[in-house]
Amino acid sequence: MSYCVHCGVELHETSKSCPLCNTPVVNPRIPLIPDGKKPFAEKKGQVDRVRHSDMAILLSVVLGSTGLSCGILNFFIFHDSFWSFYIIGACILLWVFCIPFLIYTKLPWFLSIIFDGMALVLYCGIISFSHPGNGWFIGLAIPIIVLITGLFLIFVFLLITFRTSILSTSIYLFLEIGFLCTGIEILIHKYFEEKIYVTWSAIVFICCSIIVISLFTIIRRSRLREAVRRRMHI
Amino acid sequence: MEKKTTIKQEKKLWFKLDLSANVYPTLQRKNFSSVFRLSVLLKSEIDPLLLQQAVDETLPRFPTFQVAIRKGLFWRYLEKNTRPGPYVQPDISNPCMPMPFRANNRYLIRIYYYDRRISLEAHHSLADGSGGMFLLQTITAVYLRLKGHFISNTAYVLNIHEAPDKEELEDAYVRYASSKVCPKRTQERAYRVRGTSEPFYTLNIICGVLSVKEITQVSKSYGASITEYLNAVLLYALLEKQKMEHPYKLRPVKLALPVNLRRFFPSKTLRNFISMVYPTIDPRLGPYSFEEILSQVHYYMRYYITDKFLNGDITTNVKTQQHPLIRIVPLFIKDMIVKQFYTRIQDKQSSAGLTNMGALPVPKEMAPFIERFDIYMGQPFSARTNCAIGSFEDVLTINFASSIIEADIEQLFFKKLVKDGIHVHIESNRI
Repeated sequence: MSYCVHCGVELHETSKSCPLCNTPVVNPRIPLIPDGKKPFAEKKGQVDRVRHSDMAILLSVVLGSTGLSCGILNFFIFHDSFWSFYIIGACILLWVFCIPFLIYTKLPWFLSIIFDGMALVLYCGIISFSHPGNGWFIGLAIPIIVLITGLFLIFVFLLITFRTSILSTSIYLFLEIGFLCTGIEILIHKYFEEKIYVTWSAIVFICCSIIVISLFTIIRRSRLREAVRRRMHI
Repeated sequence: MEKKTTIKQEKKLWFKLDLSANVYPTLQRKNFSSVFRLSVLLKSEIDPLLLQQAVDETLPRFPTFQVAIRKGLFWRYLEKNTRPGPYVQPDISNPCMPMPFRANNRYLIRIYYYDRRISLEAHHSLADGSGGMFLLQTITAVYLRLKGHFISNTAYVLNIHEAPDKEELEDAYVRYASSKVCPKRTQERAYRVRGTSEPFYTLNIICGVLSVKEITQVSKSYGASITEYLNAVLLYALLEKQKMEHPYKLRPVKLALPVNLRRFFPSKTLRNFISMVYPTIDPRLGPYSFEEILSQVHYYMRYYITDKFLNGDITTNVKTQQHPLIRIVPLFIKDMIVKQFYTRIQDKQSSAGLTNMGALPVPKEMAPFIERFDIYMGQPFSARTNCAIGSFEDVLTINFASSIIEADIEQLFFKKLVKDGIHVHIESNRI
C-alpha cells in the first residue's frame, strides 16, 4: 500500500489520489489496483419517490363526483340557470392547480404555470358564457390573465435562476407589482377604447421603484445589509 | 376472533417521540434527514438472503425500530408498522441519504450490505447510536447463528426470543430530569466552516483507521484520554482552518459533543438518551498551543460531564417540552418555531460535531468474525463536517462525514495525528 507524500497517511490500494489533498499516487514499487475491491460501494443511491397516488385518486374522485352530481342536479331538478357550471369550473381549476403537487410531480414548472393560466381563462370563459356582457372576456379577462401568467413565469424563472434571499425576492416582487398595475391600467383604457395613459398605476409604479432602489442599495452595501439583518432578525 | 383481537391490539401499539426525537422530524427537508449509520465489517462476504432472514427474525424484538412516524394535532408519534419490510439492499456510495417518511414502506431504518460489510441506517427520531448498536449487533449475531455459529446474548446482543423489557422502550429523559434549576440553553455563535456545498445529497466520507494501542500511548503522553485527545485535535484543526481563512472577525471554535447519558443515569432504553456539551476554544483571547487546547478540553470535560450538569441540561429540555402553553400549541406552529430556533441559534452554536462511542464490546464468540465497526454521524444540517469515532479491539475508526467539497479539516486533523507518530490508514468514497 502507498502513502500520501503530502499528508503521510497510508492509502487504500485502489486510491488513485489522496482523498485529503488530491495528491496523485505515484509508486513504481507498488502498482495501483484500480479494479480492486473499493472500500465503499460505487453505485449511487436514489431517494425513494413518495407516492401521492392515493391522494391524487381521492382528489380526482371528490372533485369529479362533485362536478358530476352538481351537473345532474342542474340538468334534471334545478334547471332555471347554469349555476352548476361555476362549480364544475371551480373543480377543474382546483384539479389543475393540484397537478404538480399530487398528480404528475415531474411536470416542468413553466408548463404547470401555463396550465394554471389556461384553467383561469376557462373559468372566466364559463362566467362570460352566463354573463356575456360587452366582450369583457376577450377584451379584458384574457389579456389580464396572460399578463399575470407571464409575470408569474418571469418571477419563478428569476427565483430559480439567480441566488435568492428575502431582499432579492422582495425586489422581484415589487418590480412585478409595478408592472402588473401599469399593465392592468393600460389594458382597461384599451378595453374602453380610450387614449392610452397611466394615472393611479404610475403612483404604484413610482412607489415600487423607490422600494426596489432602496432594497438594491441595501443589497449592494454590505455594511447596510448587515445592519438591516441585525435589526430585523427574527 | 382471537386473531382479530390480536390485530386490533397490535394496531394500537404506539409511542410518543422521546425528548430529543421531537426535534429531528421538524428539520426534515427534501434534501436532509437526520439519519445516522452504523456498520460492521465482518471477515467473510455477506449472504444477502441470510441477512434478510436475520433482519426478519430480529426486528420484532425491537418494537421501537419497527415503526412509522405519524402526525398528531399537537405532537408526532411512532406507530407500529405492519407493512412488509424493511428489505436488505446493496450498499450505495452516498450513505445517509434523505429518508422521506412516506417512502420505504414508511420504515425509518435501512439495511445495506456490501462485500463484507453490514450497514444499518436509522432516523434519529427512533434511537441514538447506542440504541442502533443494539439492533446492528443483534442482527449480526442472528446472521452468524444462521451461518451455524454459536453466539451468546451478551454485550450489545439481545435475546430475540424474549419480550422487550419496558425500560427499553421508555423515554428516559423524563425519568431522570430532576434538577431544581434550569440552566440557560443558548450559547454564543461559533465559527462555521465555509466550503463549497456538494450537489444534492452527496455525502463525503473519509475514514481513518488507527491502532488503539498507538493512540492510547500518544494520548497518555499528553496526560489525556483518547476522547480528550481527539477532541483537542479536531479543535486544533478547526482553529487552524479559521486562521487560514483570515476572517474579519474571529469566532470561538466549538464542538457539539453528544454524551451518552446511560453512563450516568442507568437506563436500558434503546431510544435517544444523549445530551450535548460544547468544548470551546476562543481564539480571541490569544493564540492557543495544542497542549493548551488539550488541557482546556481535559478540564472542561471533567467539569461539565457529570451527572449534575447533565441533569440540569435535560431538566431544561423536559420542562420546556412539558410546559402547558407549549403543549397546547398545534404541531405546525411548533414545527415553525423549532425549525427557526434550530436554524438560527442551535445550528450556529457549534463548528463541527464529534461523537465517540468508545470501545464497543461484543460477545466473545462473535469477536473472531468481526474486523471493525464504523460509525457515521450522517449528513450535517448545514455545510460542515461531522466526526464519529468507535473502536473494536485494537482498531479505532474515525469517520468524517461532510457535505462540502473541501477536505481541509480532515487533512489538518489526520496530519496532526501523523505528526504525533500515529499510523493512519485512509479510506474514502470520494474517489
